[in-house]
Amino acid sequence: MKKYILLAFAILFVGIYLFPLYWMYVTGLKAGSEIFRFPPTFWPQTLHFNVVDIWVRLRMDRFLTNSLIIALGATAIIVAVGTGCAYALARVRSIWMDVALFATLMMQVLPSSLMITPIFVSFNMVGLLEYPRLAVVLAQAAKLLPLYIVLCRTAFMQVPRELEEAALVDGNSRMGAFFQIAVPLARNGILVTSVLVFLQSFGEYVYSRSLIGERALQPATVGLQSFMGPNTSDWSGVMTYSAIYVTPILIVFVLLQRRIVSGLTAGALK
Amino acid sequence: MTSMAQIELEHVDKHYGQFHALKDINLTIPKGSFVALVGPSGCGKSTLLRSLAGLESISGGTMKIAGERMNGVPPRRRDVAMVFQSYALYPHMTVRENLTYSMRLNRRPKEECEKAAKDVAAITGLDELLDRYPRQLSGGQRQRVAMGRAIIRDPKAFLFDEPLSNLDAALRVHMRKEIRSLHDRLRATSVYVTHDQVEAMTMADHVVVLRDGIIEQQGAPLELYDHPANRFVAGFIGSPAMNFIDAAVSETGDAIVLEGLDAVLPIDRRLQPGRQVKAGLRPEHLRLGAPENSSIRLEIAVVEFTGAASYLSSATDPELTIFHAGRVEVKSGEVVGVSIAPELVHLFDPVTEERILAQSGSE
Amino acid sequence: MAHFWSSIRDSRGFDALLVWLALGYLTVFSAFPLVYNFVISLQTVDLFSLASFDRPFVGLENYREVLSDPVAGTVLWNTIRFVVLSVVFQLLIGFGLALFFQQDFPGSSYLRGLFLAGWIMPALVVGAVWSWILAGDFGVLNYVLRSFGLIDENIFWLSDHQVSLYSVIIANIWLGVPFNMILLSVGLASIPQDLYEAAELDGAGAWQRFYTITLPLMRAPLGAVVSLGIIFTLQQFDLFAALTQGGPSNASNVAQYWSWQLSFQTYQISRGSVVSVLMIVFVIGVAAIYTRSTRYEQNY
Repeated sequence: MKKYILLAFAILFVGIYLFPLYWMYVTGLKAGSEIFRFPPTFWPQTLHFNVVDIWVRLRMDRFLTNSLIIALGATAIIVAVGTGCAYALARVRSIWMDVALFATLMMQVLPSSLMITPIFVSFNMVGLLEYPRLAVVLAQAAKLLPLYIVLCRTAFMQVPRELEEAALVDGNSRMGAFFQIAVPLARNGILVTSVLVFLQSFGEYVYSRSLIGERALQPATVGLQSFMGPNTSDWSGVMTYSAIYVTPILIVFVLLQRRIVSGLTAGALK
Repeated sequence: MTSMAQIELEHVDKHYGQFHALKDINLTIPKGSFVALVGPSGCGKSTLLRSLAGLESISGGTMKIAGERMNGVPPRRRDVAMVFQSYALYPHMTVRENLTYSMRLNRRPKEECEKAAKDVAAITGLDELLDRYPRQLSGGQRQRVAMGRAIIRDPKAFLFDEPLSNLDAALRVHMRKEIRSLHDRLRATSVYVTHDQVEAMTMADHVVVLRDGIIEQQGAPLELYDHPANRFVAGFIGSPAMNFIDAAVSETGDAIVLEGLDAVLPIDRRLQPGRQVKAGLRPEHLRLGAPENSSIRLEIAVVEFTGAASYLSSATDPELTIFHAGRVEVKSGEVVGVSIAPELVHLFDPVTEERILAQSGSE
Repeated sequence: MAHFWSSIRDSRGFDALLVWLALGYLTVFSAFPLVYNFVISLQTVDLFSLASFDRPFVGLENYREVLSDPVAGTVLWNTIRFVVLSVVFQLLIGFGLALFFQQDFPGSSYLRGLFLAGWIMPALVVGAVWSWILAGDFGVLNYVLRSFGLIDENIFWLSDHQVSLYSVIIANIWLGVPFNMILLSVGLASIPQDLYEAAELDGAGAWQRFYTITLPLMRAPLGAVVSLGIIFTLQQFDLFAALTQGGPSNASNVAQYWSWQLSFQTYQISRGSVVSVLMIVFVIGVAAIYTRSTRYEQNY
């Protein structure tokens, strides 16, 4: 019995916590006039679907395409450059590897909003701002690469070293053992971490806002910010926009929830 | 056994920073022999084995396999096979894929791999399990896959790194015999690392005892048991362990006086009277008898029965352990007589801990 | 050359290559801007001198100007309040939820995982949703508070200069709770159950078990959560952009947002970099303490 009381409380807590998400969807479904009713209605009296209208009017296809390009580009760089580094940092114990790991951990904490000033100035000087989306991809990859390395490293540390040694004795080279033994066995961690990095980049804002001036190249976050403007009154539209934007993210999250939790906690929680 | 050397180590040294893991190791392993490297943990036996595999690089000396110098040669070019303590089976491959991994790396034709897998499965009793994954196998079956993966290679040498330590006691005894009979059939050179002296004694043709990176003694198993070169080997080989007692050579020079026990034991050689020695008495060499007819009289503190044998511990300082096959009618607190044949008394120098050879050359 | 390739295929060269690939990237795109940031902060950089390599060197003049700016004091005080309040409440709520979900009931780990939905959302969208919840006339939060009788009149969360900072703090606590809870759950899960059983046999009640076993053994995870909380809170930018833009009149402005405003809205780039340099030094200091204190306790 006690278990079910606890369960009821747990559902209550989750409900309270996730209320903002609920409110986003409900507001998106309300008609313009119902929004400004006080007290507010907790379930829309008349359903009002403005998904298509918002999608077309705001050219969301363009925004989301740009978000996707930035997220895919950053994730590709990070996976290509970071996986091997995570592996080496997990395998080799030496003073130099400790230094490299420490440097990585330090670069993990640099806030984007503080790094953007020197990045903007230096990118401007070498002409990278001519390709603003590429500039965002490069900067964002540098921002999340350390996090990817640290999380992937724990995934590689869970692969027994003896398996690779067996592969070496069986006739493989270091490189072969890395690709045929270490990577396949750590693929769960690599996959989850890549998804996390992808989702983070999909919602990137600071770099895009600062480096991309041309509206047609901006991602969905910047689009949302300019849609909101300083004094918006179209909250139904803003919430619809938000819902369109985050629903794919939430679907990925629900599908991978267990793996994400265990990837973040190095398997300590499921 | 052919006398051709398959593995030769000359003055091999290994340092890890300040730590000197292997010190001037000289070892020759004849083709087709079964050699056990044994010693307490941290003695360097695993480091030596891993150096043979090429998983560790040596800091000095030369290492040859089948006459070829191996210093700096990567593992994949050494043509040795290794069985790991954890078996190191690739969890994402089936038994068949595990067995044929090395052949596939060498791009051997599919039919050849399949035939080899079948043959090895027959030898190791894995016929029914070829399509299983390692996680679906029992401990003993995993052990066999690890063996099979080595056998399929037909390598220049087999290296075993404590392969039985993850098995329960009964299975361990069984696999011990199985590995040995496999070796007798294949006649491949094998190097076997273990911390269990019983495994080393029962399986190997040649036992190498290591401590702190030094070879303390090497030889045939019974040679080590009968003539341990020093106190460490004497204490390490044999179970239960040898009793050590401080003693002095008697005035006549042909007996020793055991300190703390007030007993005189005749010895089979002549030593300088008054010399301090360390006497080594194996528990199984001590014979129980009536107190008045025996050279040592002891009060017994604890008697343990295993059914087949009895273990008696004395109440004296130093304590003596006595092994008696069968049962004894001795109770705690009783005084018993113990004697030992003169030729079975081992003597060591108390300072150098080396075996004391007879001055007359009778040994 | 042959030796080089064999080293990469078979030995240490392989590890070195992999590490240098990533470190090289980070050197170009993280470490270099870090150093360059410091250089800019010693120069006069504005829209005119932006593209030129030869910018006037002014020494610590920019630092003097920034620190004597009256806004600096407000921003500093806001930043301290933002960090302290965010971290404290994230920790309290996160720890409470972690303890709650540590109990054994059906679906506990699944429901706990659902909290991460908040953490995974783009912070800008979270800001948009909260700015609607916090809206003055029609916001649902005001309605809830009024129906519980906690307030008589609507609070204008985003435009009242006395509360605008707290509205960002509320949204930031919401964002940070899941991460705190998950990390603390890991710590709780690693406390062996038999310790509690032993304490119970020794006669310790529930509160005594919490004070004598849970809290002392949770010191390392709690320290980690506080350090990471400070680091993440100082990274928070998107919520400010979506909720208050630092306003009204800097009432909710914090250092990381101010730095960006100086560089990208008033184009006083050298001043922006001064704020950035000072904050980065602080963040790296916190991170270094955290890393050193945890390196012997966890596997990374």
